[in-house]
Amino acid sequence: MTNALRFHWMLPKAFEVALDGRQTPGEAARYRIESTRPESRSPQPDADGWLHFATRAEEAGIESVLISFSRYEPEPFVVACALGRATTRLKYIVAYRSGLMSPTSFVQQINTLSALIDGRVAINIVAGSAAAENRGYGDFLAHDERYGRAEEFLAAANAFWRDGHDGVDFDGRYYKLEKGMIHTPFTSPDRGAPEIYVSGHSEQSMQLAASQGTCWLRAADAPEKIAPQVARMRAQGIGVCLRAAVCCRPTRDEAIRVVQSLLPPDKQESTIALKNDSRMYAESRSTDGWVTRSLWAGLVPHYGPVWTTLLGTPEELAGAFLAYKEIGVDQFILSGWPEVDEVGIFGAEVIPRVRDAERRQVA
Amino acid sequence: MALRFHWMFPKGGEVGMKTAQETSRVATTMRNSPAAIPDMAGWTRFARAAEESGIESVLLSFSRYEPDTILIACAMGRATSTLKYIVAYRSGLIQPAPFVQQINTLSGFIGGRVALNIVAGSSTAEQRGYGDYLEHDDRYARADEFLSICRSFWDGDDVDFDGQHYRIERGKLHTRFTAPDRRAPEVYVAGHSEQAVKLAVSKGDAWVRLIDTPEKLAPAVANARAQGIEVCLRCCVICRETRDEAIAAMQALKPAEEIERQERAILKASDSKTLHDALAAADDQGWMGRSLYAGLVPFYGSSCITLIGSPDELAGQFLEYKNIGVTQFIIAGWPKLDEMVRFGRDVLPLVRQKEVVSAQVLGVRKDLRLNT
Repeated sequence: MTNALRFHWMLPKAFEVALDGRQTPGEAARYRIESTRPESRSPQPDADGWLHFATRAEEAGIESVLISFSRYEPEPFVVACALGRATTRLKYIVAYRSGLMSPTSFVQQINTLSALIDGRVAINIVAGSAAAENRGYGDFLAHDERYGRAEEFLAAANAFWRDGHDGVDFDGRYYKLEKGMIHTPFTSPDRGAPEIYVSGHSEQSMQLAASQGTCWLRAADAPEKIAPQVARMRAQGIGVCLRAAVCCRPTRDEAIRVVQSLLPPDKQESTIALKNDSRMYAESRSTDGWVTRSLWAGLVPHYGPVWTTLLGTPEELAGAFLAYKEIGVDQFILSGWPEVDEVGIFGAEVIPRVRDAERRQVA
Repeated sequence: MALRFHWMFPKGGEVGMKTAQETSRVATTMRNSPAAIPDMAGWTRFARAAEESGIESVLLSFSRYEPDTILIACAMGRATSTLKYIVAYRSGLIQPAPFVQQINTLSGFIGGRVALNIVAGSSTAEQRGYGDYLEHDDRYARADEFLSICRSFWDGDDVDFDGQHYRIERGKLHTRFTAPDRRAPEVYVAGHSEQAVKLAVSKGDAWVRLIDTPEKLAPAVANARAQGIEVCLRCCVICRETRDEAIAAMQALKPAEEIERQERAILKASDSKTLHDALAAADDQGWMGRSLYAGLVPFYGSSCITLIGSPDELAGQFLEYKNIGVTQFIIAGWPKLDEMVRFGRDVLPLVRQKEVVSAQVLGVRKDLRLNT
């Protein structure tokens, strides 16, 4: 099926995966909340836990994992390299912030990575994060300027991928390259350049996705609410990928019980959600409770907008995914607690139902 | 302390190459050179041979003609168990915080087997392709700031820095540098210029420079050691059973005139003092000492000043450098794999023997002094 929905998953935090499988959803959630504390193990690479998860994700029919970028976590390119060398099918979407390195070096690293892991790499460009975190990385630009720079960054990178890595000249406000050259090509069985996901909810993020990316990535919301934006992106030839958490159980009541057990005991909003100046975070905090019958935003104030949760029975969830497909969404990046269990359930129960329905539609 | 021996990591495709001519810089910087493509099969063979030969680390060079060093070190480090990786990186290409984050992540994946060779920059033309327009001296000032910031991160502090080239406000990275015995990677700084030496002393653990005769090097080596850093020499090695055979092997390495013409052009165009020194040595004399030959520089570049001789002669040479205070070597040879295996088999055991004897002699002398 050429237009089958594409399902990706979030790479769990380091040491979030319990190798013995004995972990409740609530325990996994608590680990996530505590992952930014200094005593957490999550900043150190966790090859064993990650490979355990990666193997389960491959078996479940997951196409890629997204590796997030922050000062609390190991660096995504290096993680993708280590995991990619130890897996055969799974792809890696590496998050990166555009202000941190020269586009030439960026292309050199991505191309090297592609050659080492058979092209199984895509990019998630993030214009920046909270101002405080950006400054710790030496980046003092304001939100809108960061998008201007990200536009140049990707334009320069795309020039290498498009023009054959030789003699790239670029004269912008933030970057200036003279006869840029990288001999190591992007290597993949079917592409000359990586897929580029641009994430955000702001108008700038949509424009950036359209001008320099291959896909716009945002948090899930009600289909009727995002339909106009999705249609606009698709009309420009850009894919749309939604971030969501998922909780699939034999009954809807059971799924609701599980997600409610994920609420932190003290009901405190997490520092992650509060400290961010991005529009994605601001929007998500104004919603509360049920967005649709299958979409619950109750976790968002605690874990951030990407924990907008699709929940229900396998049939209900398959239906929900197809409703998004109907309006033009073509990809999802999912997560669930515990990640290994949820990806297994998803692969066994939801994906086959989505594929059946997709086949019926084609026939 | 025993001398530490590292080896140059071959470029892509070089492990399988039979002749030195194929590995010349003129060949490896061509658009279609295999040097641009990671060679995991060849490299893994080489790395395992290095581990078996008693080589401590391999140096991965950085240029626009080759794959990225940090990611290659990750892939290779996951495929080996004892070999360390000295990754070359240029300080102007990435902010220090994400650089430290990459290095720290790498250390966690490969048991801390990573060191850094920080290079202030390369030719002006190559730098501009990376978006870097600073001149030689400014590049060193920036590299100094870069390493200052890296060191603060490794010290585990919240990093505040307000410099000419970098500004950071409450920088914090949660991923630590992980190694059995260190909290930060060893930092090698290479170069012949005064700025390079200063940078090595102020921010590095070791100063790397091209080999020269022990007499010529002695004052600079003593100076660096007195300031608390190690000294590491870059050289090539040609070892055969007899000196005559080694010289014959060296003669066979010389390539066509066209290669020489192009390599000379590269050396001359650079603003690096290291490269100019090396070319001058080659043109002035060829033989810099009985075992030290600069005649290959015009063909293979500045790092090809070569120690030539029998195993015993070479082991003796290494001890002479040790006597003036040199502690480490980064070596290359042709063919890349064969020469390293020969070194591990024929030269290294003799070096270790001589080190034991020399330590005993020193001990006896010390005893004598104490007794009189």
